Amino acid sequence: MDYVTTLKILVIGESGVGKSSIILAFTTGDYNSSFPATIGVDYKCKIMEVNGVKVKLGIWDTAGQERYRTLTSSFYRDAHGAILVYDISEPKTLEKLKEWVDELQVYSTKKNIVCLVVGNKLDKPRAVPREQGQAFAQKHRMLFIESSAKTQEGINLAFEELVQKIIETPGLWETGGASSNIRISNEERRQQESSCYDYTCSI
Amino acid sequence: MEDVLDEVVSSEDLQKFEKIFHEQLHQGKVTHKAQFEYAWCLVRSKYPTDIRKGILLLKELFTSHSEGKRDYLFYLAIGNARIKEYNKALHYVKSFLEIEPANQQVLALERQINKRMEKEGLLGIAVAGGAVLAIGGLVGLGIALASSKK
Repeated sequence: MDYVTTLKILVIGESGVGKSSIILAFTTGDYNSSFPATIGVDYKCKIMEVNGVKVKLGIWDTAGQERYRTLTSSFYRDAHGAILVYDISEPKTLEKLKEWVDELQVYSTKKNIVCLVVGNKLDKPRAVPREQGQAFAQKHRMLFIESSAKTQEGINLAFEELVQKIIETPGLWETGGASSNIRISNEERRQQESSCYDYTCSI
Repeated sequence: MEDVLDEVVSSEDLQKFEKIFHEQLHQGKVTHKAQFEYAWCLVRSKYPTDIRKGILLLKELFTSHSEGKRDYLFYLAIGNARIKEYNKALHYVKSFLEIEPANQQVLALERQINKRMEKEGLLGIAVAGGAVLAIGGLVGLGIALASSKK
């Protein structure tokens, strides 16, 4: 094992906003124009290096469909980071994102989970101004970025920003694996008030 | 965790959806939703008996509720793969791919099943290889003993 820790990243948002496409773009660089609805929950992993620290990301892709709503909430448990996706060509998907914020507040167990709002489908005609997405993110004290899974724009940056913020958050993660002698979080572990909601930042 | 086949349901979830299912069963009317939610937990259990029960519930749904067919097929494949019924699992994967040939999630599942079959096949060979070595060792010991008697 050559990574310091495994981080659990959750991807949520309405059906059809491009959650699976973003993950596919990030993990393989591919794009698929006709992506069928995700069944239940999908899982992908990728090792990435941020600030010279190698981490393994376990990325949980949840179905956006209503029928899975009661089932997917248990996957929020122990997530270090959450990516909340909306579609910049469909204003309704941003309006609905509030419900996902509520879900996250109810079901996530790590108080200082790092959250990132992603406005996806930059390749499509814009119907949601950037400022609107940014204001939403700021209101909920989350990071913000716009992306296109189709053109790859913003995809890597989104994950880099999210992981970097997680790494910088004391007490949120622990080093895993016996081979590692790096102890970053244990000394400074302390109960923290929700940090998802005590910083604002935009990219 | 490497892939979806490693994922195990939490006991809280299993109990929660089991309770809803049994309440409805008791009242004599089980909804598709409740049956699917319970089955979805069962096939992700660590106990093969739970998984088998989940498979039965999914099969029943598959024949009675056409709307959710792709979901049922997918979890029938998962359930069977988890109890190492790989050929059955691949059969469900194949049925799924006939409807959606390019489905990434199902293609990935197919790869994972094949990987497991391959790995477990190799493990079989490794065990056989180990036995050969052990027998070789015994024979060697026998020869050593025999020669030491002289």
